[in-house]
This record gives sequence, structure tokens and C-alpha cells, in this order.
Amino acid sequence: MILGSFDNFFKFDFEYFTGENITSLIVMGLIILLSIVIYFVFRKKNPRSVIKGFTMIICLIVEKIDGMVLDLMGKKYKKFGGYALGLTLYIGLSFFVGLLGLPGPMTSLCNTLSIGLCTFVLIHANAVKANHWGYFKRYIEPSPIMLPINLLSMWAPLLSISLRIFGNALSGFTLMGIIYWALGGVSNSIFGSFVGYGWSSVILPPFITAILHAYFDVFSGAIQTLIFLMLTMIQIAQEDPEPELA
Amino acid sequence: MTLLSALIGLLLVEGTAAIGAGIAVLTGAGSGIGEGYLVGKALEGMARNPEMAGKLRTNMILGCALAETTGIYGLLIAILIMFL
Repeated sequence: MILGSFDNFFKFDFEYFTGENITSLIVMGLIILLSIVIYFVFRKKNPRSVIKGFTMIICLIVEKIDGMVLDLMGKKYKKFGGYALGLTLYIGLSFFVGLLGLPGPMTSLCNTLSIGLCTFVLIHANAVKANHWGYFKRYIEPSPIMLPINLLSMWAPLLSISLRIFGNALSGFTLMGIIYWALGGVSNSIFGSFVGYGWSSVILPPFITAILHAYFDVFSGAIQTLIFLMLTMIQIAQEDPEPELA
Repeated sequence: MTLLSALIGLLLVEGTAAIGAGIAVLTGAGSGIGEGYLVGKALEGMARNPEMAGKLRTNMILGCALAETTGIYGLLIAILIMFL
């Protein structure tokens, strides 16, 4: 009865609705709000005018992502720019949420597995679209005896792509937690007699953990976002590569 | 007597879990060797061809993040053993 029965499967239980899910919803809401704002800002713009400020930043980001898609996937996959930009915003903002002290969505396996599953489905859908019935030939490739092993190894990209980002976020979160706890103890023993033992544990940590936040949240988050994006693009495009890229 | 044996069992579980976490973290050795090799080669390339240094550096950081994946898997298993 560890996994539970199907009676409770469709019941919404707040016990399993943890902080990571709430921050994930917050990040999604922010992205939707941002896209609506961008839509209304750009609708009023004159296309011949000089772009600057907010609009220029948006143009730069969109152009960068589109250029990346064009470089790594080829002209045929131009439509994937939207998916890539959405993925970038979601993963990047999810890591930056940690700067506010909230639990980042990427420290929960259900979020990383969800975005991994999106990529996984896209990879296989593209493979089916490109090869039609020839897609199923890869599972009996050296000989039909290999079928079970090939069926198992089919899931490897999903696991590797989702566990990479989950492990990175969770290890950063845990290390930060340990450092906050240890510095809180040190701070307690130094300032405890002056301001009382409840509040004294928050005096010292912010001065030291700021640089660690810069590493674990900003640097590591940006690198992992880039890696997820590149792996997604390369794996989707390798099923049906452009002639001049291959 | 039963209390004592239960205590010993608990301590054994804690201890073996800690040993397992320590062994899992040893994967960092492999990824460390790989990253050192990668950075060494990238530095060689930069010394030979300084105009390409910027492009090589970005690709090196990307490669480092990819190479440390196995180390992160080990760390993840260790954290899961110790804290969950």
C-alpha cells in the first residue's frame, strides 16, 4: 500500500501539493503575464521606429534563441523557437526563484520529469514523422533478440535529461541548507546573548551566502538552462537532420 | 534485550547508509578526471590559437557542465540516502 490505490488517484490532496509546485505555478503565471504585456507593448509599436529599452531586450532574447535554433537544428525546424524560448524562460526563472529564498521548482522531480517528458515526446514524434514505419526498425536493429534491451534504453534520454537538472538544483539547495544551518549556529553563539536566541541566527548568514547564491542559483542555473536547451535541440534534430548540417 | 538489539539495528542502518552515501559520492573522482582533461585540452587550444579563446571558453564551460553530470548523479544518490 505504499503506492496507494486508484481510489485516491483523482482526489486532490494538499498534502502532496508542496512548495515547489506552488512556486512552479507562480513562475508559469509570471511567464504568461510577461507574454501578455509583451504582446500589448509590441502591438502599439511602429515597426519602422528605433527600438530601445525593454523592447530591445526582448528582441535580443528572441533573436538569440532563433539564431540558436537555426544553428543547431536547421531551417526546417524554425517553428521550435517558441518551444525553446518557453523552456528557457521556465527553467531560468525556476532557478532564479531560489534567490528569494523560496524552494525552486527544479528541486522537485515532478517538474523536471514533466519538462523532460515534453522533450521526450517531441523527439519520438519527430522520429515517427521523419521515418514513418521505419521508426520501429531501431528496436530490432542488430537482431530481434535485442528488443527488450532496446525498449529499456529508449527511456535513457528522459532519465538523463531530467535527473541532470534535478540533481544540480537539489544538490545546490541541500548544500545551501546545510550552510545556512551551520552559519545560523555560529551566529547564535556569537550574537545570542545580545539579541536573544530566536533572531540571532539570521544575522551572520546573509553576508556569506550571497556569493554562494550567485554560484548555485545564477551561474549553475544559466549553465543548466543552456545545456537542457542544447540537448533538446540536438536530440530533436538528429532524427531528421538537414542535408547541409549532417 | 530487545531494546538493545533494536538500538544496534538502528545504528547499523544509519552507519551502513552513511557508508553507502560515501561510496556513491566517489563518482566525483571520474568526473574530476574528465573535467581536468577537458580544461587542459581547452587551455592548449587557447594557447595555440588566442583569437578563438572566447569561443573555446564558452564551449569549455558547457563541456564541464556536461562532464560533471555523472558526479551530480552520485551526489544526488548520496543526498537521497542521507536526507530522505
